[in-house]
Amino acid sequence: MANNGEVLLKVDHLCQYFRLGRKDLKAVDDVSFEIKKGETFGLVGESGCGKTTTGRSIIKLYDITSGSVYFKGQRIGAGTRGYRDAIAAARAEAAKKIKLLRAEKDVDAARKAAIEEQIKKINQELGEIVDKNRALIRDAKTDSKQVDKQYAESLLKALDAEYSQKFRAAEGNSEKLKALKKEYQIRCRVAKKSRLITQIQMIFQDPIASLDPRMTVRDIIAEGLVINGITDKAYINEKVYEILEMVGLVREHADRYPHEFSGGQRQRIGIARAVIMQPEMIIADEPISALDVSIQAQVINLLNDLRDRLGLTIMFIAHDLSVVKYFSDRIGVMYFGKMVELAESDELFKNPLHPYTKSLLSAIPLPDPVYEKQRTRILYNPIAEHDYSVDKPSFREITPGHFVYCNDAEEEKYKQQVK
Amino acid sequence: MNKEIKLSVNDLKISFRTDAGKVQAVRNISFDLYKGETLAIVGESGSGKSVTSKAIMGISAGNSIYEGGEILYDGQDLVRIPEEEMHKLRGDKIAMIFQDPLSSLNPIMRIGKQITEAMLLKNKANRKEGRVTFNKTLAELSGMIKKALAETPNANVSAADVDKYIKTFDEFNIQAIKLENSYNDARTKAGETIAAIENLLFLIEKKQKVDVASEVGRIRRSLKEINDKYFISNCEETLKAHDAALEGAIRAAKATKNGDFTKTVEVLEALKETANQLLERTQYNFFRIGYYVYKKPETDFSRMSAEEANEITKKFLDENFMDSFIALMKIAVQYSFDKTIENKKVAIEALDNAIKFFKAGAFSAKEAEEACKNVNKSVLAAIDPLAIIKDNVAYTFGGALQREVEKYFFYVKNNPKEEARFAKQTAKREALLAKGKNVDWKVIPKSVVELEDQIKTIVSVLTRVKERFQADVANAQSFDADKRCVEIIDYLKEKASQVVYTLTKRMAKEKAIKLMEEVGIPEARTRYRQYPFEFSGGMRQRIVIAIALSANPDILICDEPTTALDVTIQAQILELINRLKREHNLSIIFITHDLGVVANMADRIAVMYAGKIVEYGTAEEVFYNPQHPYTWALLSSMPDLDTNEKLDAIPGTPPNMIYPPVGDAFAERNKYAMEIDFEMQPPMYEVSPTHYAATWLLHPNAPKVEIPKIITERIRRMKERGGNHGE
Repeated sequence: MANNGEVLLKVDHLCQYFRLGRKDLKAVDDVSFEIKKGETFGLVGESGCGKTTTGRSIIKLYDITSGSVYFKGQRIGAGTRGYRDAIAAARAEAAKKIKLLRAEKDVDAARKAAIEEQIKKINQELGEIVDKNRALIRDAKTDSKQVDKQYAESLLKALDAEYSQKFRAAEGNSEKLKALKKEYQIRCRVAKKSRLITQIQMIFQDPIASLDPRMTVRDIIAEGLVINGITDKAYINEKVYEILEMVGLVREHADRYPHEFSGGQRQRIGIARAVIMQPEMIIADEPISALDVSIQAQVINLLNDLRDRLGLTIMFIAHDLSVVKYFSDRIGVMYFGKMVELAESDELFKNPLHPYTKSLLSAIPLPDPVYEKQRTRILYNPIAEHDYSVDKPSFREITPGHFVYCNDAEEEKYKQQVK
Repeated sequence: MNKEIKLSVNDLKISFRTDAGKVQAVRNISFDLYKGETLAIVGESGSGKSVTSKAIMGISAGNSIYEGGEILYDGQDLVRIPEEEMHKLRGDKIAMIFQDPLSSLNPIMRIGKQITEAMLLKNKANRKEGRVTFNKTLAELSGMIKKALAETPNANVSAADVDKYIKTFDEFNIQAIKLENSYNDARTKAGETIAAIENLLFLIEKKQKVDVASEVGRIRRSLKEINDKYFISNCEETLKAHDAALEGAIRAAKATKNGDFTKTVEVLEALKETANQLLERTQYNFFRIGYYVYKKPETDFSRMSAEEANEITKKFLDENFMDSFIALMKIAVQYSFDKTIENKKVAIEALDNAIKFFKAGAFSAKEAEEACKNVNKSVLAAIDPLAIIKDNVAYTFGGALQREVEKYFFYVKNNPKEEARFAKQTAKREALLAKGKNVDWKVIPKSVVELEDQIKTIVSVLTRVKERFQADVANAQSFDADKRCVEIIDYLKEKASQVVYTLTKRMAKEKAIKLMEEVGIPEARTRYRQYPFEFSGGMRQRIVIAIALSANPDILICDEPTTALDVTIQAQILELINRLKREHNLSIIFITHDLGVVANMADRIAVMYAGKIVEYGTAEEVFYNPQHPYTWALLSSMPDLDTNEKLDAIPGTPPNMIYPPVGDAFAERNKYAMEIDFEMQPPMYEVSPTHYAATWLLHPNAPKVEIPKIITERIRRMKERGGNHGE
């Protein structure tokens, strides 16, 4: 399913911190990964490890703290904290150096001049760093604000090109020209309101909480279209019916309210609402954990169908590993805000390297009593497993496509293991 | 099967009154729960799993109707006992862990209080209850001995002697248990100290930031609390030396600038060694020592090694008391047993007469009442009062019989009314249909109990007891009086320990913190003072489990306890429940829809659909040889780690239980359904003595159906993985 070509989404050193009194809660800490077009990317980890926060940061439900998110090559989200930290660090360092130089006592004139010279140089370097980072901050701010504008402009440009041709073709035929002009106006309005971020849609965990109880299913599903400036009722209805049928509901359901549906059907409404925007990518945040057993399979099959039919790219966040394994092409494992391992799903299950992944995999219950009663769980204690006091860890590629969060010594060890 | 049945549910039927009609949530289900096993109930939501478990707990919703059946536990029918009686069982003997932890915690009460509350209350009740049962059993015993002696006089003992024996037993037993409690406390404390030392050593070794001085201070304080003289016998000096050495080492470490703790580590290692040795020593037998000390209060065995002390006291106890006491008991036990066997023979006759009477039919209410009374009297007389394990069937016989007979007379009077309603409704529906209107309701079936059938039920109640008694009479030869004596003494000891064990608030707090640590809550001491909202979902669930376990229940009902948790936490909780099951010999009813969890936990599995049990068997049988199409569907709807095929989702939704289907409830969603599935409910077919399934596919005339490929594939993979699997 995954073609090895185009990178659709790129997350680069994403950090998402929350204020927690005086300290920061590092919900997502320096996470990087790429999602290719057409693939399904699974994100697993225990509750509170930052899976959902990652998803929400990508779709800009939170303002990210630092790092960047690229979608189709455009930077859709950028945080400034990292640059500000860099400036502060550079300043502190410069101040320290200057203080050391100034502390020298009983120096002759030549030395004094040399010191002054050095201080000047340090200040100059500092200025460069500050300017560079400030420029980056400015870029980040413009990027995350202007991305939609640019996207709309590009759409408008494409429309202009398309219609200028059509107008030329229809020249002389005043009636046709009038109709075309009207069409052009409508499409312009829609294009002006278009935002790149609508290309990523989200499916939420709890179908009851994510649907407005006072809106009919039609309103819920069509809301995205309406916000995007589409006013043609007939078109909206047509679209809603089409989507309803696509997700396995019927037309008659459009005028009902969410409470009249069963859990599985509600989740289908949630999926319909996401799909109607014709997104390229869907972030599914635990879409099946609130559902009943028999319904879970229905929803998984539905998502599978939609992926094949619409060529969707899906980021699948879940804690049920069997389902993630079944559904995803590549899987990232998160632990306390860090991505600790990332690999193709078969590879990950065959050769787990990071001790946390091993412990996670050993905890999956399988429907096989004899195996289950023999299964021993591997415990993970980060203090006992790693010694990061000297040798700092980072996210490294062990074999092609298989990344692990480790330090030099561990990298050696893992490479030995793979061989 | 020789396992002891803890709880049995027979023919339970529960409905709910709603605006739209009567929802039949549970329809005639029966199962047994054995001691020390886990029974998993699997099914979709709305299949009646939770309703069943709530009925066992006696916490059904207000609009529920018990339409029939019984839940037998400890000689009582839980459906019928009054609320006051249920109070004694609920939470204490039968505890429950709910699906949603937040709704079972009190939001405005600190966690600590919620955990200790039950402990303290239970302890108070236990002391009272223990005293009552202890006295009752002893009185029963002495009465029986006296009766036996009256019939066959024994020159050596008189009635006064018996009283003396009983009194001695009572008093020294209590004393022994006091000694034992103090010893056990010291033991647990020693264990905790070792754990604390190990933790500290680990942190020091890993060069983590830790305040060694204060940790060592804590260890020294807990060391001082280990002061039971039996536990530290002959070792006081060593412990004191270690304590002094620790103090010195810490002082030395503080003096150095960077805090060099090498010396401290050495001393701690040595201390750990000593404590481990203490734990490994042979334990004193306090039952024996208790008697010796009771007779000669000035003796002190703590200087003596455990082996020696046990030897001396055993001899003393046997010669002076136990031999003759057991001999006496044996007389009583044998006498009581013989008596009941005789009574049982009489009761069997009475039962036979009653069966004949009811089978003949045409009896008036008064006659029936008389017959019930007579037969009940003889059945009650045939119960052995000295049997520790109560015979549920005999104890609840009276109530069950009376109920069924009452039902018979109720329907004698009410049959016409129901018939009329049914006729009227059918006529109305047909009239509407004839007019060509769209009728979206169905006629509620006649809730008429056929009088003939009811007589059959009455007779079956009678025969059940009769068969039980006949089996008892037949097995009379194999009765072992010695074994029964040991059972009684163990029972008395247990009750005595209940009486003695007093839980203070401070102890309860320590116990609660230990329990919190046991269920995996870090920093239990600080968390003890927090409110439920300060915990994450997994942590809340652990608290709920801790509360359920704090009362040390007999039966634990887990209603989807891990559904809201992620894999690692789920695995931890399951391990915890399994461990507690092993340690306390708990019986567990585990309700879930996650088949992986079921495979992990269950000894036996009951698959429920639309209020009925459709398949019932051991875990291996249900997973490796599933028979019912619904079980197939469940198994094939979830992927495992090797699944690549498209999942077989179950189409549609469960039926509306206001109008339960006439035939097999699963027929509408079942691709293997045959015509008969829509017309008649399938009976339970026996696959093996422990494996039953309710599907017409098992009928000898049914066409052969292949199990779906996805399942056969999976079973094949399992066999490859596990190697040696039973069929």
